[in-house]
Amino acid sequence: MKQALSLIALFAAMPALANETRQLDAHEHGVGELNIAIEGTTVLMEFHAPGADIVGFEYSAKSDSDRAAVEAAEVRLSAPLELFVMPEAATCTVKSAQAELEGEGGHDDHADEGHAEHQEEPTHTEFHAQYMLTCVAPDALTEISFVYFEAFPNAQEVEVQIITASGAKVFEVSRDAPTLALEH
Amino acid sequence: MIFRLAIASLLARTLTVGMTVLAIALSVALFLGVEKVRNGAKSSFADTISGTDLIVGARSGSVQLLLYSVFRIGSATNNLSWESYQDIAARPDVEWIVPISLGDSHRQFRVMGTTTAFFEHYKYRQGRSVKVSEGALMDDVFDTVIGADVAAALVYSVDDSIVVAHGLASFTEHKDQPFRVSGILEKTGTPVDRTVIVSLEAIEAIHVDWQSGAQLPGKATPLDVIREMDLTPQAVTAALVGVESPLQTFALQRAINDYSEEPLLAILPGVALQELWGIVGIAETALLAVSAMVVVTALIGMMATIFSSLNERRREMAIYRAMGARPVTILGMLVLEAVVMAAIGALLGLAFLYIGLAIAQPIVDSTFGLWLPIEMPSMQEVWVILAVVGAGAIVSLVPALRAYRMSVADGMMVKT
Repeated sequence: MKQALSLIALFAAMPALANETRQLDAHEHGVGELNIAIEGTTVLMEFHAPGADIVGFEYSAKSDSDRAAVEAAEVRLSAPLELFVMPEAATCTVKSAQAELEGEGGHDDHADEGHAEHQEEPTHTEFHAQYMLTCVAPDALTEISFVYFEAFPNAQEVEVQIITASGAKVFEVSRDAPTLALEH
Repeated sequence: MIFRLAIASLLARTLTVGMTVLAIALSVALFLGVEKVRNGAKSSFADTISGTDLIVGARSGSVQLLLYSVFRIGSATNNLSWESYQDIAARPDVEWIVPISLGDSHRQFRVMGTTTAFFEHYKYRQGRSVKVSEGALMDDVFDTVIGADVAAALVYSVDDSIVVAHGLASFTEHKDQPFRVSGILEKTGTPVDRTVIVSLEAIEAIHVDWQSGAQLPGKATPLDVIREMDLTPQAVTAALVGVESPLQTFALQRAINDYSEEPLLAILPGVALQELWGIVGIAETALLAVSAMVVVTALIGMMATIFSSLNERRREMAIYRAMGARPVTILGMLVLEAVVMAAIGALLGLAFLYIGLAIAQPIVDSTFGLWLPIEMPSMQEVWVILAVVGAGAIVSLVPALRAYRMSVADGMMVKT
């Protein structure tokens, strides 16, 4: 009887458990992700990189120097054409660019501050950036050189996904071969 | 002067030289042919699906989702619920969405339930649509359109009736609900050729009267009643999605991957195809390596003929020396002969390749669905030819150096 009761209790508790969604994005140090979508003269770029690649740490910035490092990184990441250099002939200009640091893992919401037993640190942080460019001659976008690797010495590799009119393609650009050759 | 001598010397030995050139030509044609087939296979593979921006299914791996949704290999871990499907379809950035329902089979072929929108949006080989070669698209719940390979293998024609089996390898068949073949599709070289396509409603319809994988006893529901029933599916296996603008693709992909009600996966077909090719592409590299070895063998064959000709030509060399030719001239002439042989062989090989392509292209296309384009030699092919000529020169240096040394030592003395 007791067993039956505990079984019932277990099943009663299950939907409550099932309602919580737990999912985390994959996170690999040294590897950034760059998504590029091109339509006409508009080029949309999304860039994700682990905090470790950009500033060398992934805890929340504590000291003034940490905070300064994050700010400096955000400024650098807001200038896409200096990190991902495109051919002059394509004549690309930045329409909009945002970069910010996002935490992941741990609960950094303010809501559960009160009853949290210990303030959990985000276990991983990622820099997310989004750029909107206009290129006068998108056909001249034959290569992108990743000065990014010079700017951030911890970064080793960027996985690039490109969507053009001819479909989606994936490339790997690494510190040893920092140029992405595109065919049209 | 040297050049004329070299040519004349080659012409004087037409038969041996001809055989050597032929060997080089065949090996070059083989190498370039393998390269052509490799590129053709790669692009045919990449062209299996085009025009689709995202494929959505249950969360698994991108290659797995691609395999079961496009190649009909393996099966889904989970289905995509109809509610989630509707949610995705209702998003403003979704231009079109085509459901795919798999799980039943007809003989050795998979049955796919979908809507007629599939024929409008599924594209292959850079935007070609799947067309009906005989008959018409399905019109009724119990109509089916079959791929070219299905029709050929099972000798079906329009208006034949076929029975779909429950599951993929089972003896239980949906005998009470036979299908009528309403159309046969053109050969596409894609997995569509090996698919029996029915409407999405049909997949539901054949499972009326079925429960837990078994047919309920008693009288089967008449077909007319089934036609009247609500045949909206509970779930589909996967969905092909087209976006309004390519710029929205990544945002939509992320939204689907982060969809909290159901663990879903959205993949970019091109990216997943590239991943899959990375796995199956090893075999073709091996093939290329083998054909490269054939070229090397032909060049070594050429070296052997030059070596064996040295003895015959000892007197000839001596005469050249007597006429005032320096040993280095002899060396130059032998290398030049080899370069000419290699160059003629390589160009002849290229000619063989184009002749072969012209003959084989339609046959290969209709038999294997492999499109081998006939176009100007690519930069890569030009490099291959130059490499063969260069390798010919290097290989001939070995006998040429020997001739050089002999001609220094021999002078006019003939020691035979």
